[in-house]
Amino acid sequence: MATRRDTLKIIGAIGSTCAFPFSANDLYGQQEHHHHPPASTPVQPARGPYNPKFFTTREFETVSRIADLIIPPTDTPGAVAAGVPEYIDYVVSNNRQHEKPMRQGIKWLHHQARKRHHKRFVELAEEQQIELLAPLSDAVDRNEMKTECQRFFRTIKSMTADGYYTSPIGLVQELGYKGNTVLASFPECDHPEHQ
Amino acid sequence: MSKQVYDVLIVGSGAAGGTLAAHLAAKGVDVGVIEGGPKIDTRTAFNTHSMPFDFPNRHIPTMRPGVSGFESERSRGLGGKTMTWNAVAWRLSHRDFKGRSIDGAGEDWPIDYSDLAPYYDQIEREVGVCGNLDHLEDLPDGIFLPPVPMKCSDMIVRRGARKLGVKVIHVRKATRSIASPLRPACHFCGNCMAGCDVVAKYNSYDVHMLPALKTGHLDLFPNSVVREVMVSSENRATGVRYVNRETRAEGEVRGRSVVVACACVQSVALLMMSKSQRYPTGLANSSGELGRNFIPHFTGGVEVFLKDLMAQPTTDDEGFLDHAYVPSFMHTRKRDFARSFGVQFGYQNRRSVGWARSMPGFGKAYKQSVKDRYPAFLVFSPYGEMLPNKQSFIDLDLNKLDAYGLPMARRHVAWGENDRKIFREMTRWSRDILEAAGAEFQNVDNEPATNHELGGCRMGIDSRTSVVNADCRTHDVPNLYVVDGSVFPSASEKNPTHTIMALAARVADYIVETLRKGEM
Repeated sequence: MATRRDTLKIIGAIGSTCAFPFSANDLYGQQEHHHHPPASTPVQPARGPYNPKFFTTREFETVSRIADLIIPPTDTPGAVAAGVPEYIDYVVSNNRQHEKPMRQGIKWLHHQARKRHHKRFVELAEEQQIELLAPLSDAVDRNEMKTECQRFFRTIKSMTADGYYTSPIGLVQELGYKGNTVLASFPECDHPEHQ
Repeated sequence: MSKQVYDVLIVGSGAAGGTLAAHLAAKGVDVGVIEGGPKIDTRTAFNTHSMPFDFPNRHIPTMRPGVSGFESERSRGLGGKTMTWNAVAWRLSHRDFKGRSIDGAGEDWPIDYSDLAPYYDQIEREVGVCGNLDHLEDLPDGIFLPPVPMKCSDMIVRRGARKLGVKVIHVRKATRSIASPLRPACHFCGNCMAGCDVVAKYNSYDVHMLPALKTGHLDLFPNSVVREVMVSSENRATGVRYVNRETRAEGEVRGRSVVVACACVQSVALLMMSKSQRYPTGLANSSGELGRNFIPHFTGGVEVFLKDLMAQPTTDDEGFLDHAYVPSFMHTRKRDFARSFGVQFGYQNRRSVGWARSMPGFGKAYKQSVKDRYPAFLVFSPYGEMLPNKQSFIDLDLNKLDAYGLPMARRHVAWGENDRKIFREMTRWSRDILEAAGAEFQNVDNEPATNHELGGCRMGIDSRTSVVNADCRTHDVPNLYVVDGSVFPSASEKNPTHTIMALAARVADYIVETLRKGEM
């Protein structure tokens, strides 16, 4: 995956246009190798059945379940409602490098589910699903990415975070984004504790 | 194309080219401006008010669908980088001009603050710079519009900095804080660097060139990627050859004098591409210094969450991006390095939440931890001054051609001992200030990154060690000038554009004077 340092290098190659070293959005969606120019139509949240471009229907079910385990519905909608699985499908279908690790990660998860509970991953109880993902997540938090499944979890978590927090549900409804408005004047900070 | 011979032909239409063109045209000089990119309408061309979810890959591209521009460094568009800059506008100080005399390292400018001060005045009147009068020895005050109020996060950082005896001031930007008859005040929509659609923020096309067109003394040649500056057998620049951006057809424009103003690295590249028998290693390179003394700014970066803002309601604070600044303070303190650094901070916008990936865990607790930190996220970016060294230079990669068949420019940067010391010190100070302000640390950069490209056509008195003289005229060719960041002999830690514009205004006066005397 592209680290921020890689992104800065790329910027170095094209010349820094401005004083904005942190504007480097290394979103997965940006790593594209299109055969066709990207569509410029706004993304619509999932409505009706979605036909995945890369994943099989079963794989897509699994991806959707993982995404919703990472960012579940709470008092605001979760990853699935925010269209994250569709975003992940978009990213993977536009970038070959993710195809194999994604497919193998899903396979590994199925294998574990079968081995331990004789069921498909999506058929497990939520606690059982969490139990399977937790060691991967812990390893990633320790910055340990030795195995393919650890790297798989890191990728799918990052893609879920990217997709969710750049969606209207994630950015506006969940985080409360308030910018991009027209203000007559800038409200001065008048909190006595900030002075 | 016009067969006319212009008094002055300017390659590049950004901060330097646009300013110079307007100043010359206003004085009746016939000017042609050659720009590689297309004409860009800042009101409709950019995705100023877009959100990431407007695009399937969630990345907001520079141009709107179907609008061309900003394709490469050689074909951005009329206005150049001023279309997408962050508008930070500092005056350099006496210390910046005379660094070598003061701390014995790097190079002095052949001019001093007093030479440029009247031109800083002019530029501030023309472009509208907002800021506060801070009475700092190292950051001269100017003619300012009222400053924009600080954000909550700025006040919190200021409270921390104060504990360490460090000042936080209002940022100074070429963005109107109050309206003028021609330009509205900033409306705080928050995406300054995606092009300002109302021209509250200065850009050289709308503010300088567009009014200058009315004089009848200015012609614009967009879509013309210059490949060579032509020089006569009498050693005089006679014009430029270009490739049409769309048709790839070749063309020529002639001028009685030529100004290269295509932004640091590309100015060096153009001179290097303009080889001849007399100048086998590049035009105006008899010193061998062309491309050398490349001294871009280096930045660090500390990303934090301010504890006071954690789990607080979000506010609408992206407008105008950064509102405050930590001006250089080390130059008056005991230190074991030359030069200094300043800190820009709080210019992250709130449409990107890339750090969410690195919050630990998953599930409800993870979702909550992102939500709690969202209003508290702050980026702190110190900028340090690099000293010139032999390993840092610009050259051409003759094996790599761009879309126009021209060799790509290549940057070589190696950090010297002094640069490393500044980097360490500026990172340490950033941590300390934020610690004092109350912060949870998310990321601390441990390697410098470059920004604000400067140097390559050093200005100096000695023609053996510099490319242009104090008036930005090349030592080698009497009617050839270079005006942009490439002429900076030393970089200062301050954002360079204001100084580039002031230099352009000064060169305009010099050229007018020369024309009057009939020297050209």
